[in-house]
Amino acid sequence: MVPDRIEREITIDAPVDRVWDVITQAEHIGRWFGDAGAEIDLRPGGRFTCTWSEHGTVNAIVERVDRPRTFAYRWARPLGAEVKPDNSTLVEFTLLPDGTGTRLRVVESGFRTLDLSDEERAKYAAGNVEGWKQELDELIGYVARRAA
Amino acid sequence: MTPTRAATNLGADEVFSALADPTRWRLLNLLATQGEGTATTLAEVMPVSRVAVTKHLAVLDRAGLVRGRRRGREVRYVVRPERLEATARWLAGVASEWEMRLSAIKRIAETG
Repeated sequence: MVPDRIEREITIDAPVDRVWDVITQAEHIGRWFGDAGAEIDLRPGGRFTCTWSEHGTVNAIVERVDRPRTFAYRWARPLGAEVKPDNSTLVEFTLLPDGTGTRLRVVESGFRTLDLSDEERAKYAAGNVEGWKQELDELIGYVARRAA
Repeated sequence: MTPTRAATNLGADEVFSALADPTRWRLLNLLATQGEGTATTLAEVMPVSRVAVTKHLAVLDRAGLVRGRRRGREVRYVVRPERLEATARWLAGVASEWEMRLSAIKRIAETG
């Protein structure tokens, strides 16, 4: 089974509520995500768009709003496309209090389910996932050693 | 910040789809470790039929992950690393975009 998830974490010297506002409010999203504004209807199923001046607008759908712990959305590609199960990946932010600060984790997953049938997607969604890139690197390493 | 993940494809979709199947992932790893293989030699060490292996190899071939060369009655397959490397680079790009975004979130949250 090929895992397909990217996970990154950062420690922020600001309270959880402040970080929550930065990741969920349009005025802030337009700064850390795009560079030409964002719009968000902050509730499950709500529409979320973000614009880059040079590239265009990406469409997303809000999946989870559990203030101030979890915020998740599904975004489509390519830019401009409407969100569908076979053209989108899931982004999940998790906020954890860390002293007076916040540990913010982001996980983007679902790369391998792009362009799969519903049946295939359901089958693989049940699997355990971890560092896709590591698996790929190992495989590339094999190939490189064979070629050497 | 260029939205790599949203703006570009580079065939990564096709690679992810091809590798989504555990059998194909195993086939690719077998080919990588053995250097080359035919549907017959691969089917000997896989829990699926030669016909199934042939079909999976065709999917990997279409995704640009393996290359087949006919030798007599059999086709010998080898891994093509270029597509895998491009996919790994693409994933690394997606990851580094998240690092930049998290840094931007930190900056905004800490300084207002």
